[in-house]
Amino acid sequence: MTSIQRSLHLFGVTTEELKILTDTALSKGGEYSDLFFEHSTVDELTLRDGEVNGAGSHIDYGMGVRVISGDQTGYAYTEITTMNEMTNAAKAASIIALGNKKRIPVTDITPMDFKNHYPILKSWEDSDVTSRAPFIKALNDKIFSLDHRVNKVIAKLTNSTTSILFFNSLGTLCSDERPMATLSVTVIMQDGSRVENGSSSRSYRMGSEFLTENLIDEIAQEAVNRTAILFDAGVPEGGEMSVVMGAGGSGILLHEAIGHAFEADFNRQNVSIFSDKLGKKICSSEISVVDDGTVQGNRGAVNFDDEGVAGQKTYMVTDGYLTSYLHDRISASYYKTASTGNGRRESFRYMPLPRMRATYMINGKSKEADIISSVKKGIFVDNFSNGQVQIGAGDFTFFVKSGYMIESGKLTKPIKDINIIGNGPKALADIVAVADNSYIDNGSWTCGKEQYCPVSCGMPSVLINKLTVGGLQQ
Amino acid sequence: MKQENESETIHFALKAAEKHGAGAVRITYNKTKHSSYTFRNDKLDRLQQATGSSLFLQLYVNGRYGTFSTNRMERTELERFIAKSIETTKLLTEDKHRSLPDTSLCYKGGGTDLKQCDPEFSEIPSEKKIEIARMCNAEILGKDKRLLNVNSEYGDYEDHTLIVDSQGFSGTTNQTNYTVSTECSVKGKGDSRPEGWWYESSLFFNDLKTGGCGEKALERAINKLGTRKIKSGKYNMVVENTISSRLVSPIINALNGANIQQNNSFLNGKLGERVFSPLMEIYDEAHLPGEFGSRLFDSEGIATKPGPIIDQGVISTYFMNSYYSKKTGIPVTVESPSLPVCSISGQRGVSNENKLEHILRNTGKGIFVTGFNGGNTNSSTGDFSFGIEGFYFEDGSILYPVSEMNVTGNIISLWNSVRDIGNDARKASRWLIPTLSFNSVDFNGF
Repeated sequence: MTSIQRSLHLFGVTTEELKILTDTALSKGGEYSDLFFEHSTVDELTLRDGEVNGAGSHIDYGMGVRVISGDQTGYAYTEITTMNEMTNAAKAASIIALGNKKRIPVTDITPMDFKNHYPILKSWEDSDVTSRAPFIKALNDKIFSLDHRVNKVIAKLTNSTTSILFFNSLGTLCSDERPMATLSVTVIMQDGSRVENGSSSRSYRMGSEFLTENLIDEIAQEAVNRTAILFDAGVPEGGEMSVVMGAGGSGILLHEAIGHAFEADFNRQNVSIFSDKLGKKICSSEISVVDDGTVQGNRGAVNFDDEGVAGQKTYMVTDGYLTSYLHDRISASYYKTASTGNGRRESFRYMPLPRMRATYMINGKSKEADIISSVKKGIFVDNFSNGQVQIGAGDFTFFVKSGYMIESGKLTKPIKDINIIGNGPKALADIVAVADNSYIDNGSWTCGKEQYCPVSCGMPSVLINKLTVGGLQQ
Repeated sequence: MKQENESETIHFALKAAEKHGAGAVRITYNKTKHSSYTFRNDKLDRLQQATGSSLFLQLYVNGRYGTFSTNRMERTELERFIAKSIETTKLLTEDKHRSLPDTSLCYKGGGTDLKQCDPEFSEIPSEKKIEIARMCNAEILGKDKRLLNVNSEYGDYEDHTLIVDSQGFSGTTNQTNYTVSTECSVKGKGDSRPEGWWYESSLFFNDLKTGGCGEKALERAINKLGTRKIKSGKYNMVVENTISSRLVSPIINALNGANIQQNNSFLNGKLGERVFSPLMEIYDEAHLPGEFGSRLFDSEGIATKPGPIIDQGVISTYFMNSYYSKKTGIPVTVESPSLPVCSISGQRGVSNENKLEHILRNTGKGIFVTGFNGGNTNSSTGDFSFGIEGFYFEDGSILYPVSEMNVTGNIISLWNSVRDIGNDARKASRWLIPTLSFNSVDFNGF
């Protein structure tokens, strides 16, 4: 039995029924329709107060029908996959095309195979959720062993498997098994009357081979380091200053400052600050930025996106030029180009939108140490919690959990709990040095554009001449 | 919106849980129905319709506890899922603090009708919904050359929840909600395209204010033209009632029982102490009919009651569910506030003219914040830093828009510098937090 056949069986539909449903969806004159079937299981295990005393399993099941007419979208979903319920959903979605006289026939079925970017070595289903309890307990013990000020540890291990069956009116039929494993920990430390908290996480599209001793060591050390430093840290004096963004998680800058503004739905509607910039020079020739759905095991990887388009590597910025927006089928059609495979959705309850995958900057030639030593007064940041952007105005922010002051080219006093705000095009143009140490941060990054989607981000260390740093005034 | 076999499904799940070894169980059945229609400029851009249901199980097995959910209600599959869930729960470490709540604290029925559900929900034709969204756009299309794009959305949902537990608690809630919103972009200086938005929301269709969203959104976008960053320094701060809840939510989070027990709250150990300005009052109006958030019981079935949260700056309560109550020894309250109302101490419900214009005038000069852009609060210390946009004002008059700035401080210090609390909370919100004014706050610009 092929994977597509297994999926058809799981959702209790035949290829003939898929064609009938798509035909119903297009019955009012829509130009394109797709069916997205999803079955997801999520297992979670929680440690609190030293004991693995919380567990959960969650099943979600259903299918969504989408109809596109021009750039208009009709969408409906159902949690019951009988032909009757699915036909009702198809009819509800079809209404968007009322008045459109065109009638597009459904093309013959073409089963599609895509390259697998997340092969599973050890299935989660081969072990019981509670058999993972010793792993999470070992993480707790490791954290307590690292620093006597550790007071509380909250750890959570989540693994999920999502089965997808996709069919569209172009005849594309494909299926996918999407794993996700996430380990996250929050550490509370107390020193006298002072309390601080820090966290760390790792997330990959992997099977249970995810659970290794290295992972425990890595997360435990990172969480403790991130918390311990806060006892020596303070809130700096705020204002405009140079900012060195450390490698890895600083990719949040790309996600917020330019990534969202490059999503083609915003540009198609002429509301992004980059709407008129395609093909133009927007930053230093040293900068190239990629959005990549093909990084093996990465949280943002997709074998195919949620519109049946292959996962791919998209150069958004090449040598300083804006070379591509991030497209779903609707925006690709508007711009008369191919989709970049960025049509993603949270679940069958949502229609797909252009969304990022793994967004990162390619290495430059500078050394991080040289970049830091070139700064007379500024800050170095490499630990973040969240970010946001205003697409039209271009103002983006990200919250810095910890970092350091830079004084006369040296890292000095630790800093914490400050927001940084800048303007996307200005900040991008203000990047004056790019280091050679790029890597992708594999934390549990989740993008919240209308719906939640797993992503990741990465960066080499860069120097931005000027951003507005939160802080206290003297 | 009752599913015909809803009580049968819950009864079946209860029996199955008991049969497979659960000592106690709580089942929450939820069903929702929603629709939304979005107009982009002069045509319908998106329509969405759906219904959904789910079963959430909390299982107490041999002193162990697990949470499980599914939307697959077919009997054989459901029983298999429950049996497996119980087996999973049995393998956890025992947690003696986990149990269903003391029945004497649970809601017993007979409460007043809180007017949360519109019986006409299913009667509203889709044509009317589409027309509401279209009219919002029509208010401004062609009215200003700078307008680049406008999206208006009409959305509604109906939510039906039934909670049943094995010690006899049963409670139902039904709620409807209607929202209309507009978001538009205008051509600014250079490549900038400032956005403006507005929304209205109600529990009953007939209470939904359907006109004015478009005009208000355009006005807010145009007001942002010519924005600038100003010098870092200490400024008085007025916060608009559309976003002022952002300065209350860190306090509510810090009062949460889980954060107290986990020593991750800047209000830990402060119960009964005066922490904030005596000017400040937050009261939980849990039973106000026709208001978002009003409810008779929480998700454990514990009866809610109106009462003070912050009274003259003193912490009056933590939010303790039965689990964290047992772990901390602090009596059970409710798991979270229902309808927090912020006011000047002793002025709650008093009618006066203490609205935005009055507060701006009394504050003199400073920054009027109309939007927070990102940022966060350290839950252990209360230190916060948020991006902002808004306006610089003097003598109560708005002079020019400001953006690309941060506001930074500590929640306790901030609320000790509160100078005024308005009387103009938006009824469209679940938390009734009015316009706020603070003295000498740290703003970061150039």
